[in-house]
Amino acid sequence: MKIFNVVCPKCKEKFYAHWAMFRHKKINLVCPYCHHSFDQEESPLIEE
Amino acid sequence: MLNMRGYLDLLKKQHPDDLLVIEEEINPADFEVTAIIQHLMNDGKYPALLFTRPLNLKGEVSKFPLFINVLSTRERCAFAMGMDFSQCKLPLALEYAKREEGRIPPEVIPKDKAPVKEVIKVGDEADLREFPIVKHHYMNPGPYITMIPIHLDLETKAYNAAFLRMQYKGPRKLGIHMAPRHNFEIVRRHDAKNLPTPTVVVITHHPAFSLAASNQAPFDSDDYAVMGSIMGEPMRLTPSETWGEDFMVPADADLIIEGEIPANYREAEGPFGEYTAYFGPQLYRPIIEVKAITHCHNAIYHDVTTVPENQVIAAVTMEGSFYSKVKAVIPTVKSLHFPNSGCGRLNCYISIDQRFEGQAKHAASLAATLINLVKNVIVVDGDIDPFNEEQVLFAVATRMQPAQDVDIIKNITGNNLDPSVPGELMGSKMIIDATKPFGRPFEELLAVPKKAMDRIKPLLQKKGLI
Repeated sequence: MKIFNVVCPKCKEKFYAHWAMFRHKKINLVCPYCHHSFDQEESPLIEE
Repeated sequence: MLNMRGYLDLLKKQHPDDLLVIEEEINPADFEVTAIIQHLMNDGKYPALLFTRPLNLKGEVSKFPLFINVLSTRERCAFAMGMDFSQCKLPLALEYAKREEGRIPPEVIPKDKAPVKEVIKVGDEADLREFPIVKHHYMNPGPYITMIPIHLDLETKAYNAAFLRMQYKGPRKLGIHMAPRHNFEIVRRHDAKNLPTPTVVVITHHPAFSLAASNQAPFDSDDYAVMGSIMGEPMRLTPSETWGEDFMVPADADLIIEGEIPANYREAEGPFGEYTAYFGPQLYRPIIEVKAITHCHNAIYHDVTTVPENQVIAAVTMEGSFYSKVKAVIPTVKSLHFPNSGCGRLNCYISIDQRFEGQAKHAASLAATLINLVKNVIVVDGDIDPFNEEQVLFAVATRMQPAQDVDIIKNITGNNLDPSVPGELMGSKMIIDATKPFGRPFEELLAVPKKAMDRIKPLLQKKGLI
């Protein structure tokens, strides 16, 4: 499935989310490492 | 009646080498259980593991021992079905498929006779932190329950069970992921009426219950009746704490969780290390609000790993019905297998004694298109064992010419957890015909004459070499 990489703005770890469910939508992602909840636009890096 | 303690006792008695008991304190929520499993796997070992002193999510030694990796070998799957280890290949698959066709109506017993009601915790007393829930792989956001939710359809009134991943999010909260199959449809129907979806998660029951939960029965079949048939006895049911007789629960389960999926609510869940051996991405999924936890006095906490356990379960529970469906059209099909190398679903090996031109590809085409999960099908001659991957790859190496023996089916529904699928679901499939060309001479396999083999055998036996 199509995914996009993000970096948690708090702990700087990278993970990825489902593109169709999240990309360009106002739904917060949750970092799996530090559990910080954030808007994808806060990510210092988005790869798709 | 079948239960987990009974299985464990029998395994200890009959196959003690298949069980590794670890009495040291181990922290499942800090990857220590999966680290042990991975070390053993790296050494080619797949024992069932019983941790007698795992830590729970509060960091205390749990009252519940952890039993994991139970069905990671076909042999122990056969044992769970009451069969001998030696029957673990096609006979196991065929027996599963045969029982899957049957239905045994469940029986109802009162709550005071139900082992799963020996301890009842409702409301704030129900606390998931009591359990040694496993955090499996590095990108998982927390511990995950990997067992079996049961749902009841509003319209058909049939119960449905499946293996689904559930993310621990709090003492009474779980995230839950469903692929668009039966459980997903049940939740969708509740959402459409703005109703919460009652959910019962069976954490621990006899391992045959776990195999039975992977059945491919139609949506409107009552899974309790199907599962009873697979287990070989009527499922005993008892009323739930939360909904009474409106939702019946397995009476002989060690441990169950009752909860509700709030209507039309979703939040982030995952990523999660899936059966594909990759992490599936973070998804937007429902939650379960836990209402009650009930268990028997000496309950065991059961976990099913993704690799290889989930792969083995998938293969064992699909091979028989696939074999039967292909053989109904091509009677000379000999065997069929979903290897672990294909995650128990993505690759399929079929052996056939060809009688007519094109039969091999016909058999492969049938297998490739029965469900979306299968991607690559390799068809081999009857002298090649599909359960022996080296033999299958030998056939590909020596009996196949890519220009005429490889076919691609494009633009067909793929497996949405397959990381190579570029979009949402659309993928492609491949058929490799690795059978000898039909109707023309082909070279013979080399062999030492049998007389010489038989004549020399005693010499080597005398030296203890064979």
